[in-house]
Amino acid sequence: MSLLDFALWIQNTGWATTIRMSAYLYPAVLSTHLAGIALFGGTILVTDLRLLGVVLRNQPAADVVNQLRVPKRVGFLMVATFGLLLASSKAEEYYYNPFFRAKLALLLLVAVHALIFRGGVYNNTAALDQARRMPGKAKLAAVLSLLLWISIACVGRGIGYIEPPLEKLHAGLLGGYGK
Amino acid sequence: MLIAFENPLNENALVFPILECLHILGFAVTVGTIALVDFRLLGFGLRSQNVAKLAKALAPWTLFGLVTVLLSGPMLFSSDPDMYYLNLSFQIKMVLLLVAIAFHYTFRRKLLRGDLPPGLSKAVACVSLALWTSLIFTGIFIAFVVTPGH
Repeated sequence: MSLLDFALWIQNTGWATTIRMSAYLYPAVLSTHLAGIALFGGTILVTDLRLLGVVLRNQPAADVVNQLRVPKRVGFLMVATFGLLLASSKAEEYYYNPFFRAKLALLLLVAVHALIFRGGVYNNTAALDQARRMPGKAKLAAVLSLLLWISIACVGRGIGYIEPPLEKLHAGLLGGYGK
Repeated sequence: MLIAFENPLNENALVFPILECLHILGFAVTVGTIALVDFRLLGFGLRSQNVAKLAKALAPWTLFGLVTVLLSGPMLFSSDPDMYYLNLSFQIKMVLLLVAIAFHYTFRRKLLRGDLPPGLSKAVACVSLALWTSLIFTGIFIAFVVTPGH
């Protein structure tokens, strides 16, 4: 099964078809995705700004990072769940969409960011508080995290601007498009 | 026609999407920072932080986001004023926006300063969350409801 076959299969499931065809369900799912972005984005912003020493400096970084973990996960769960619903509902055209591909690549970089910085920074906040000054790797992690999530939001908005020529693709007129 | 001259913003195809990105990032900062204080009022999240101090620390960021949306929003509006003006979702959004800003800088500010009975905390947090979330929904729905004549 190729990736395109998988995209077609998931798009043709009952629930994905319902979301795509419904006049109001699709925008409702999209709005919930964006509400999740606000919550998730807010927790990322405050976590990273604390690591940079910009906000809540009188609070230990450990308290800020640890106490924001639950709202951050709730936000992420909202964004991811409703994002997957959106992606499934138009999986075939997103398969060809360069912004969608860029978004997936950036999300992969988020995973790389987590691999690199999770142990030393986000799960190591007690040690960060012991240091006389916030270590450079924590600040680097914060800056990269903010840049990554800002680009993901912008690239995500870009997805809606691309309409791959599905009819021509179906007619076999653009054989190698986007592959 | 609300604007009789050619809008320079419409001459470059990239202006609108860039403004939209700023609008999205701006509301994420505004609504996200407001939500963290509202969650604190509801007993979730940054609980070791005094609620008045938390609100004070995040207020400049809320305002920064708000300024971003209030600058990018009217520019987006100016790209097609007739359409927005007649769009039901846009009309509802503008009313909710005024209510949300008024509520934020009156009732909610008073509560956070300790000028309202603390028993109202949870109610104020829920109203605040509902108002700001409703702006996201009505904003998205602008593109999905039928505008008369468009």
